[in-house]
Amino acid sequence: MAAPSGTSMFSKYGGFAAVRGLVMDFYDRVLDSEIVGHHFDNVDMRRLVDHQTRFIAGLMGGPAELDEGRLARAHRHLGISGEEFEEIVDLLSQTLSAGGVAESDCDSVIETVERFRHDIVTERRP
Amino acid sequence: MIPETLSSKLFSAIGIGVALVSPGDLTLRLVNPTFSQWFKGVSIGDPLADVLDEGALQRLKDGLASDEPFTMDVAGKAGRRTIDIEVTVRQARHDDEAMVLLECQNISRLRQTEAMIDSYAAMVERKERELEREKVQAEKLLLNLMPRSVYEEYRAYGSVMPRLYEPVSVLMIDFVGFTDMAVAADPTVTVSELNDIYTAFDRIAELYGCERIKTLGDAYLAVAGLPHPNPDHVRAAAQCAVKMIRFLKRRNETHPHTWRARIGVATGPVVGSVVGVQKYVYDVFGPAVNQAARLQQCSEPMEITVPKEFASELIDDFSLDKVRTETLRGFGDVQVARLKERRTQPASRSFEMLS
Repeated sequence: MAAPSGTSMFSKYGGFAAVRGLVMDFYDRVLDSEIVGHHFDNVDMRRLVDHQTRFIAGLMGGPAELDEGRLARAHRHLGISGEEFEEIVDLLSQTLSAGGVAESDCDSVIETVERFRHDIVTERRP
Repeated sequence: MIPETLSSKLFSAIGIGVALVSPGDLTLRLVNPTFSQWFKGVSIGDPLADVLDEGALQRLKDGLASDEPFTMDVAGKAGRRTIDIEVTVRQARHDDEAMVLLECQNISRLRQTEAMIDSYAAMVERKERELEREKVQAEKLLLNLMPRSVYEEYRAYGSVMPRLYEPVSVLMIDFVGFTDMAVAADPTVTVSELNDIYTAFDRIAELYGCERIKTLGDAYLAVAGLPHPNPDHVRAAAQCAVKMIRFLKRRNETHPHTWRARIGVATGPVVGSVVGVQKYVYDVFGPAVNQAARLQQCSEPMEITVPKEFASELIDDFSLDKVRTETLRGFGDVQVARLKERRTQPASRSFEMLS
C-alpha cells in the first residue's frame, strides 16, 4: 500500500491528524446510510470507532495491520450482501475524495478493500 | 430586549435541547423541538420518567437536593442513531414558581473522538512494543558479534576506533579431522553438535573472563584481557583451555561422536576493531593471534601447547611438560611446552556446574 514515493499514504497525508478527519467522516456516512446503517444500530460506539480507526489507518499503511482472519470473523454472522459491500466501498471512496486523497491513492485503497470481499460477503445470492 | 417572537423562534431552532420540569411531580412543563426529537418525541405534560431511565432519574433527584447546577450523561436518539447527551440541570424560578431547567448538548462527537484517540493510542503503543522487541533482538545479535563495550561505542558514535590491547592472551582451538567428519556424518548432526560444543565453550570462556571473538568453521578464537585489561590474562586463558579439553573428554565418554581438539595459547598485543561496513564483524589482529594458531598446529590431539616462558606465571596451578623447540612460521625457533592441569588440584566447583 506504499505510495509511489516509498513512504506510506499514512505519512504522506499527514499521519493521524489527517486520518482522524477521514475516520469521523466515514463513521457518519456509514451510520447514515440507508443500505448499511441498520447493521450499526446496536453496535457499541467505542467498538465501532476502534474498528474504523484501525481499518482506515491499516488501509493507508499506518500503525495497524489488516488481518483477514479477524475481518472474516467479525463479519461472518452478519450475512453481508454484495450490495452492502459495494455501498461501503462507495462510501469509503466518497470519504477519501472529500478528504482530499488523490485519485490514484483512492484507487489503491479501494483495490485493497476489494481483496477482502470474500472474507466479508457471506450472503449467498438467491 | 429581544422581541418575544424572535426568542420563541430561537428557542425552537437551537441545536441544544431545552426543557423545564416541575420539581414536584417531575413532569415536563416546556420542551423545545430538539429535546423532543432526542427523547422519543415527548411533549408538554409527559412525565420525566419517559425521558430518563430509573438510574438517571434517581441521580437527578439526588442532585436537586443541592442548589448547585450539575451535569449527567444520558443516551438519546437522533434519527436512528443513539447519541450521547450531556444534561446540565439548574434550579430556576419562573413567575415565583420553582422550576428545573434541563439543558441538553449532543456530545457524541466528543465521545467518538475520545474513542478514536484511545484506539490510536493503543495501536501506537502496540507498535512501540514491537519496535522495542526488535531493538532488543538487534542488540542481542550485535552483542554476539562484539564485546559489549565495543557495541556501546558503536551505538554512540556509529563507528569503532581500532584499539590496541596489550598484553592479552589468545586462545585458538581447532578440531582434529573436522572436515572429514562434516562430510562423513550427517551434516545437520555435525553442525548441531558443534553448536552444542561452542555453546559450552562460550560459557567456559565467560566463566574465566575470556571473550569469544569468532568461530570460523571448526576454529574457535577467544581472548583474555580484552576489552577490559586483566593482569592475570595468561592464567585466565590457561584455565579456559584446560576446562575446554576437560569438557570434551567428558562429553566424548557419553556421546557417540568423538570430538578431539588441539589448542594453542599465546600472548602479545592485539588490535581489536570492527571491520567491514555493510557486513561488519569485530575481529582481532596481531602476532599473538598468529602465534596461537601456529602453537595449536603443534599440539597433539587433546593437548594444549603454550610458549615455554608461560611456566613462570603458571607454575602454581599447572604443570608444563614436553618442552621442545618448534619452528613456527613467522616466528622462527620457539621453545614450547604442553600445558597440563595439576593432578592434585581439586575440580573447580563452578566447572562442575557446567557439565
